[in-house]
Amino acid sequence: MASASISALNSNSLENSSSKNVSRESLRMEPLTNIPYLPGEEKVTDKEIIYMCPFNGAVKGKVNITNYRLYFKSFEVDPNIILDVPLGVLSRIEKMGGASSRGENSYGLEITCKDMRSLRFALKQEGHSRRDIFDSLFKYAFPQSHNMPFFAFLSQEKFLENGWNVYSPINEYKRQGLPNEKWRITFVNEKYELCDTYPTILVVPFKASDEDLRRVAVFRSRGRIPVLSWIHPENQAVIMRCSQPLVGMSGKRNKDDEKYLDVIREANGQTAKLIIYDARPNVNAVANKATGGGYEGEDAYQNAELIFLDIHNIHVMRESLKKLKDIVYPNVEESHWLSSLESTHWLEHIKLVLSGAIQVADKISSGNSVVVHCSDGWDRTAQLTSLSMLMLDSYFRTIYGFEVLVQKEWISFGHKFSSRIGHGDKNHTDADRSPIFLQFIDCVWQMTKQFPTAFEFNEHFLITIVDHLYSCRFGTFLFNCESVRDTQEVKLKTPSLWSLINSNIEKYTNPFYTKDSSRVLYPVASMRHLDLWVNYYIRWNPRIRQQPQNLVEQRYMELLALRDQYLKKLEELQLSDSPRISNNSANSPVSPTQIVHQIQTQF
Amino acid sequence: MEFSEHIKTSYVDNVVLSRPFRPPVKGTLCVTSHHLLLSSRQEREQDADLDPDEKDGDTLELLLLLKGIDAVEKRSTGSYGTITIKCKDLCIFQLEIPGMTECLNIASSIEALSALDSVTELYPFFYRPETMKIEKKIPEGSSEEFFGQIAHQADKWRLSSVNKDFSVCPTYPEAVIVPKQTSDEMLMAAAKFRQGGRFPVLSYYHKTTGKVIMRSSQPLVGAQKKRCQEDEELLGEVLNNSERGFIVDTRSAQLAQQARITGGGFESKSNYHNWKRLHRNMERGKNLQESLIKLVDACNDQTHNMDRWLSKLENSKWLSHVQSTLSTACLVAECVEREGCPVLVHGSDGTDTTLLVTSLAQLVLDPECRTLIGFQTLICREWIQAGHPFQQRCTHLALSHARLRNEAPIFLLFLDCCWQLHHQFPLAFQFSETLLIQLAQEAYFSNFGTFLCDTEKDRHAFQVKEKTFSFWDWMNNPAVLKTFTNPLYQRNELVIWPSVWPHSLHLWQGNHLKMGGVVINGLEFSPDEKKLAAARGHAGYKF
Repeated sequence: MASASISALNSNSLENSSSKNVSRESLRMEPLTNIPYLPGEEKVTDKEIIYMCPFNGAVKGKVNITNYRLYFKSFEVDPNIILDVPLGVLSRIEKMGGASSRGENSYGLEITCKDMRSLRFALKQEGHSRRDIFDSLFKYAFPQSHNMPFFAFLSQEKFLENGWNVYSPINEYKRQGLPNEKWRITFVNEKYELCDTYPTILVVPFKASDEDLRRVAVFRSRGRIPVLSWIHPENQAVIMRCSQPLVGMSGKRNKDDEKYLDVIREANGQTAKLIIYDARPNVNAVANKATGGGYEGEDAYQNAELIFLDIHNIHVMRESLKKLKDIVYPNVEESHWLSSLESTHWLEHIKLVLSGAIQVADKISSGNSVVVHCSDGWDRTAQLTSLSMLMLDSYFRTIYGFEVLVQKEWISFGHKFSSRIGHGDKNHTDADRSPIFLQFIDCVWQMTKQFPTAFEFNEHFLITIVDHLYSCRFGTFLFNCESVRDTQEVKLKTPSLWSLINSNIEKYTNPFYTKDSSRVLYPVASMRHLDLWVNYYIRWNPRIRQQPQNLVEQRYMELLALRDQYLKKLEELQLSDSPRISNNSANSPVSPTQIVHQIQTQF
Repeated sequence: MEFSEHIKTSYVDNVVLSRPFRPPVKGTLCVTSHHLLLSSRQEREQDADLDPDEKDGDTLELLLLLKGIDAVEKRSTGSYGTITIKCKDLCIFQLEIPGMTECLNIASSIEALSALDSVTELYPFFYRPETMKIEKKIPEGSSEEFFGQIAHQADKWRLSSVNKDFSVCPTYPEAVIVPKQTSDEMLMAAAKFRQGGRFPVLSYYHKTTGKVIMRSSQPLVGAQKKRCQEDEELLGEVLNNSERGFIVDTRSAQLAQQARITGGGFESKSNYHNWKRLHRNMERGKNLQESLIKLVDACNDQTHNMDRWLSKLENSKWLSHVQSTLSTACLVAECVEREGCPVLVHGSDGTDTTLLVTSLAQLVLDPECRTLIGFQTLICREWIQAGHPFQQRCTHLALSHARLRNEAPIFLLFLDCCWQLHHQFPLAFQFSETLLIQLAQEAYFSNFGTFLCDTEKDRHAFQVKEKTFSFWDWMNNPAVLKTFTNPLYQRNELVIWPSVWPHSLHLWQGNHLKMGGVVINGLEFSPDEKKLAAARGHAGYKF
């Protein structure tokens, strides 16, 4: 074990050492022997091809296309290059060069991926050699554009755990102590009639009748009324989420909405002013009036205070990530790395999202209820509520808890995964696409960096989630909202990502995790303390030093195992030598069981 | 002693101390010959659960070595005077003093006493911890000791005492390791041909390849292209038959060329057969100091135009200095390990960038240097005994407005590079980041005599070893050593090649962002701070 980790440490980064790092370019989802077919995965076609590797130059090999993945293996052993790319990751497939174009390797395919890389393949310029492969890729990478099902619906994968059982809204609300005398569970949306992008089960003030809710829904964009996301176990302050009010140019008001917010304010008995966090920049909120939206005016909502959080919209985030990709793939911008990084504004956006969430968490801790919304309440709002809940509630920092958090705040409340990711859709320029969820995971990663012992999951867990955000191997992130998932019978017909993770949970566990029950985590959102998530964004580059954190985790596990061994040995020795030891045991201050930390290892 | 002349007001009551992220405290401020103290008295009888130390009502809020103060700024507000104190460990705090006269007196005392000129007036000569003894022993990391370790293998080398009484080279230790075939007379002749008498000596012997790293200062070639036969022969002795060697010059080719005008220069190809020169442009002196000032400026900027943080960090160029330092060190390591060739490293004086490169190359190459003991001996051998002028280089850090003289954060750059290696190879080092942070402070102000003076010669003259305690002795006390130990350490026998790509190099938050009191990275791993503070005794203070 020891020697393995030593050699992993010693790849030389001064020289090109990618030859040693066979699987760097693979997604490493499963150990690779030959082509790793998943149950339900079927071969479509294969072809000899040249992979234009940005780090090793042209590499001859064979590509296999299945209904799930693109799998390339080089003929040569040195460099031994394997590409294992789920087709869901593909964003754009283009033909490059024509039958008559000159120059070596100028004829082939160019593939843009959703996970920060681009792949180029070259073929011989004869007899439409790329047609078959292009057609297969196009068809299976974009099944939605071809009236075909996602792979998740074809998968025959079986797991020990069923991830679909992880989240039950009733159980989660029960965990939070709901319903109680101030808050009730309503089934008004059971048939998605109140709001088609909300889940069926909602928590609302006890004082508000279902009839009230229907009247409020009229005044909120897409019927996304303020509902409870989280309640503080002691001071009963609540995080409410919703969409923007339909104020419009004329400055419309709605008595029911105003009354409803006041009922929310009163519920915990100590909120003088309900704080409304509008995630948008002030100007954007004003601009939204032109399209019928807007924000809560001072006159109409006298017992509320509106604060804008200056977080930009999905288009800005998309462009920012695009810029980031430009400076990290294939080559890292070397000469002005930091200022180039700065000019992408990616970290600045991360900062704004995090500091918005910190403000929410801070208000809640001090007993003040808050409402969070943006325009539709499914992008920035989800980021803010889920991050502040992560700060406030240590349950969400466990593996199961985090799955519940994603399942609840993102999936069930209608973050438009399908539109934002463009699952199986060929239209790569769709303006609805945006890396909002990735940005959330990045924020979570920043928190795990700042509090290395506070989270039960490790970096691999976060990367796995993001990888399967695109892969379409699981039904977890498919479709835009619960109502569509119900009609598609996602839970019945597809496996859940949490099944994969929960069936092999050690792999995703942070050994440094220590349960710390009720602490609120306030990360530092200053730019000085934010880092680029190199292990994710630059992971395809063979020159990055791969994940020292993993080494540290491994080493820690080794040491824990070693300690357990020694303790066992000590116990054995004590038993075999009990007469002499028992004399001393009265005044020996430390018994082996006392030394044992709360963390136990499974070795 | 005339310390008292500097102290016109020895104590003031009702002084308010304000520190970042702490509520202000009122108490009595006291200036002694070497310390600044502030103690508060609080009514605490009702609180029975307090430590016995604190029960008597006096709490020491601040205890600071005056030498640790980089700058003092005073400002008056009505009858109050405010003193802002900026420390060499990058901490900044304010004292609000009732009475302008008192304020001015205190400020001038601090100014005078924090900049004492004479070495023997410094605190290490007065520090007398009860639990320690001054032991006069062979200093760790002496040439004798190092030669003892390699002698059975390095049969082409010998220990020379040509520098007895520091007569040949004032900045070398008395014993040096040189090629066996070279006589002391040759060494003396070669010394005349090298700046400051720093003739080529052995710095490191790589056991796996049997190749060496040597260091020296620049040859005094001058405009007339002078030669020195003994110097050429000395270097010739290092090479076997037709073997090749590398000379890594830490200056650009242009700078090396320019140095000839002032009498310096470089080894020409025709006179030094089989030695191939490689030039690397490393920043030094004033430019490096200015880079640190910009870095500290960016880190301390409280006005936050935070969206410009990354450009400010880039503009300081500190990380590019880290990069060029690490790559030059790796170049040397590559010559020794991959090419299997001996290397000579020098810049101009051979006391700054030269040592930076040779010591880091050893850290990359040799697992022994990455142990606690090995790292200590490395610093002793390659920095302290090798004559890095600590006293001149570490007078001020970066917060002072005083005119710069010979300050340059070469040693800090070394520690930063060590941290980068540590960050990339978190298991390979037996010591922890805490030791690096502690050393960054020790070099500038300390209870101990270890980093006093510029040369071994001066240390002898002032009897530093006889009259002061050693940092290493304190550090090797098991209770203290524990806090400097990396619990995850796993000896790695291999060469550790760092990545020097810009995205692989990080700001050393643990040291450079200490100031705001928000050191967060690795906070949860850090050793029991209370214990550490107790072990530190009077050296530091905690926010």
